[in-house]
Amino acid sequence: MVGRISTPVSVSLSFDGKSKRVFPKWLVWNGRLYPIVKIGLHHTYRSGRTLFHVFSVASKSLFFRLVFNTDNLHWRLEEISDGMPS
Amino acid sequence: MLKHETTTQLFFNSKQSTIIHIDLNSCFATIEQQANPHLRGKPIAVAAYTTPSGCIVAPSIEAKRYGIKTGMRVKDGKVLYPDLIILPPDPWKYRNVHLALRKLLADYTYDVTPKSIDEFVLDFRNFSGSPMHEKARDIKRRIREEIGEWLTVSIGIAPNRFLAKLASSLHKPDGLDEINKDNFLNCYSKLKLTDLPYIKIRNAIRLNNMGIYTVTDFYQAPLWKLKAAFESINGYYWFMRIRGWEIDNVVFGRRSYGNSYALPKALSTPEELSPILSKLVTKMSARLRRAGYKARGIHLAISYRDGSFWHKGVTLESVIFDTRDIYKKAFKILHGFSQVKPVRDIAVSCFNLIKSSETQLELFEDVVKKEKLVSSIDKINERWGDFIITPARMIAVSDAVPDRIAFGGVKELEEFTLT
Repeated sequence: MVGRISTPVSVSLSFDGKSKRVFPKWLVWNGRLYPIVKIGLHHTYRSGRTLFHVFSVASKSLFFRLVFNTDNLHWRLEEISDGMPS
Repeated sequence: MLKHETTTQLFFNSKQSTIIHIDLNSCFATIEQQANPHLRGKPIAVAAYTTPSGCIVAPSIEAKRYGIKTGMRVKDGKVLYPDLIILPPDPWKYRNVHLALRKLLADYTYDVTPKSIDEFVLDFRNFSGSPMHEKARDIKRRIREEIGEWLTVSIGIAPNRFLAKLASSLHKPDGLDEINKDNFLNCYSKLKLTDLPYIKIRNAIRLNNMGIYTVTDFYQAPLWKLKAAFESINGYYWFMRIRGWEIDNVVFGRRSYGNSYALPKALSTPEELSPILSKLVTKMSARLRRAGYKARGIHLAISYRDGSFWHKGVTLESVIFDTRDIYKKAFKILHGFSQVKPVRDIAVSCFNLIKSSETQLELFEDVVKKEKLVSSIDKINERWGDFIITPARMIAVSDAVPDRIAFGGVKELEEFTLT
């Protein structure tokens, strides 16, 4: 089931200076910490002049769409899914 | 073999294969499965709208195994597989993957042509280096390692673009095939006419009418027969294509800008349709100006819910670029000529494009002042996002006309960069 929302979310982002890779490590949603086990896709888009980075990531059982606004450096959670039909 | 070569008077192209055609398998659905690992291995489909009557635009490889096809309604797909997962399109995801693929492929040759959002042609005519099959396997490996491990491509290799595309369709997903002077007859013998790219039912009937029923017949047919079948220069093009000679190395420039919308509910009168028309014109005219063009023609097309179709194009005396002017002309066409009955799709486009630098002054209107005003509005919309300043009549349709990727062409990708 796919749930579309738009809520601020706490995210820890790591940068590995050696491999030059950026990856979210965990997020906290509804008071629960979800370690990120897989980054499916990282893509970007612009709305006006603002650049957004979108991380499509998975914890052990859930999928999250995390969006990073490069203007205000805020994270939003835009989608949650358990990969099951609605 | 020699016998039919003599009668056709043109041998199959004997040069080595230098064209690679790459097709990203089940593009939108595969990218969604790449993004969400919990969807991998499951029947999913991307649909224009997720409602029961929404049109499926991309079933996943797993969904195709249940008979789910592009163009089906969501409700019909769910009849075939009730647990089918339906997702709305996310155009920026697909554009990013397309641009990443384009960047990766540019490492192999400067001559990379994107044919659509999920198809690329690489021309190695002026290159030496590793054998074509080795290049193809390396491309597959790098796509998996650098763009996404779930992404698979089917690759075709041939002496010309047409046969490379055909070769890429022989095995899906993740295929790698070559059609060349040594195996073309064997390949042709296993295919139906409609397995060939661009040969659908109507073209197959044209060929049947000339006694051509198989791909081998098609290959063996003399030029006069193909000219008679297609009744145009296309007969010659097909004669060359199927013999492996290049005839499709042509890139057509942009000749129009357009936007269309499938109405979720039936609207009939010009007044009811005007907010949708306004949004389509606003979107189209912004793209026109961003690309540095003005237009001298407006075209409106409407498909009605009873299956009928109406369209009208008007060539104008002066060039137009202002959203308000384009809307007035489009509405005039809509009001003056269309029929009042429930509409399914509406499309507006502008043609006869002229570069913006050529300003034509008018006697009764300050064109330069208008250009400055329009340019200021465009700058505000570019800074703060599309549709920040819009015509008031568009208020009721804020959610209509969502961002979409056109099928078939990639001209819209000229308008997008990630920097």
